[in-house]
Amino acid sequence: MGTMQPSPRRPPRRLPSLPARISALHDARTATVVGRWLGLAVALCFGTGLVSHLLQHPPDWLRDHLPSRPAWGYRLTQGLHVACGIAALPLLLAKLWTVYPKLFVWPPVRSLRHGLERLSVAVLVASGVFEVLSGLLNVVQWYPWPFPFVPVHFAVGWLLAGAVVLHLAVKWPQISDHWSRHAPGTRRLPAAHGPDRRALLAGLGAAVGAVTLTTVGQSVTPLGKLDLLAPRHPGHGPQGLPVNRTARAAGVTPVGPDWRLTVTGPRPYELSLAALRALPQHEVELPLACVEGWSVVARWTGVRVRDLLRAAGADPAARVRVVSLERSGAYRVTEMGATYAADPLTLLALRLNGQELSLDHGHPARLIAPNSPGVLQTKWVTRLEVR
Amino acid sequence: MTTARMRYAGGLLGVTGMAVGLLLVWGTGWAGHVVLWLAGALLLHDGLLAPLVCGAGWLLPGPTGRGGPVRGVLRGALIVAGALTAVALPALLRPGAPANSSVLPLDYPRGWLVSVLAVTAGAGALAGVRLLARRWRRAQPRRS
Repeated sequence: MGTMQPSPRRPPRRLPSLPARISALHDARTATVVGRWLGLAVALCFGTGLVSHLLQHPPDWLRDHLPSRPAWGYRLTQGLHVACGIAALPLLLAKLWTVYPKLFVWPPVRSLRHGLERLSVAVLVASGVFEVLSGLLNVVQWYPWPFPFVPVHFAVGWLLAGAVVLHLAVKWPQISDHWSRHAPGTRRLPAAHGPDRRALLAGLGAAVGAVTLTTVGQSVTPLGKLDLLAPRHPGHGPQGLPVNRTARAAGVTPVGPDWRLTVTGPRPYELSLAALRALPQHEVELPLACVEGWSVVARWTGVRVRDLLRAAGADPAARVRVVSLERSGAYRVTEMGATYAADPLTLLALRLNGQELSLDHGHPARLIAPNSPGVLQTKWVTRLEVR
Repeated sequence: MTTARMRYAGGLLGVTGMAVGLLLVWGTGWAGHVVLWLAGALLLHDGLLAPLVCGAGWLLPGPTGRGGPVRGVLRGALIVAGALTAVALPALLRPGAPANSSVLPLDYPRGWLVSVLAVTAGAGALAGVRLLARRWRRAQPRRS
């Protein structure tokens, strides 16, 4: 930009006081490279978040069409959701560090368009920091906010995803100008910064690797030994499996011999625990995968839900309402779609890893279904209602 | 021309996504609190986290000069240790007892210390190798 002759509109300038040492790599090439990684992490978080939301709160027309396979589907998507969210923490801080001097451009607002652009960046930063922070606090079950986490995290996720797409559209000329090492914009930057930038990016890559390795063992169980910082650890919990809601928290006490499973439908019936045990038992290996990201595969033994429904005269395409002994809670009563109810892997489980279910894992009977969030694997089941 | 159209389409898509987000935020019934928390997140970053990170960067040796060869390793180690600390903080600082013994079952101060010590040891070894390599290169007779 020419600075020799006075111009009526002065070019934007940064505050001159930032030392060169600080501002060396605050350039568009660094922003582009870090932005690519962060963009990938945000895209994976958003996509897997949508999957989780649809599985937990499907619209009624979709409920009977949700796929119950692959069995490990939710384990993968929700494990990725939390792992990408954790990996996004160093990436987000690095991206924002790179563009931080732009916060101090002078004049702060040059035009309406510039003002709107800055507003969208403010939304981007606020929603990005909020999503990572709220996610990290939620997985340690720390809720310092007054609002419910799930709907707010979901809503702000849309705000963030939209702001990212808008940001990409606005910044596209700069992004494409610095996309590769040989792009015209990258070549215009001081060549001496190249090795320094690569060292910075290597450090950032190492940070992503380190936070992933020390936490991902909570879902990738073979890496459990490296799990130093995750909120859960495979093997910690009753019967070697973590628990989210204990029987005590749910207000459930041990059942007596008078416990009955009620199955309603065209031919309703009741079963005692002994009668349930006498029915054909099936054994399945399925993961218990929590929305908080942890997951563990276990061996479950019990009666196929589709057999129980068929005995009640249910249509093979029927859905089922599952009622728990819990006193209260958002998941005391859940609706299970037809694809899940008909899946031969979906059990009313009585045993876990060869032992009777413990009370905290849902004694006397609990649901276990493939490709399903943990909150829908209803514990302490007392009624199955054919719909 | 096509790029310009794609940019407008992308911009429109982004604004639509943000509008959906705003409607969803409104629909939670907690819009006021959410806006406060979003503003707080912005302040937390721009007012505290970014100045901290920039300050740490300022303490590093410059790219040229005596500290040059280990600068990359030192900065990398700071970034890795900082990221590990940030990820460990919620588990370290969470007030109150966990809901049950399978929530936060690990010794997190120990885990944090072990991971940061591993980073220190790794970075020290890498810096040592680099300094030795430089000394070795300097000791070699120069080819012209």
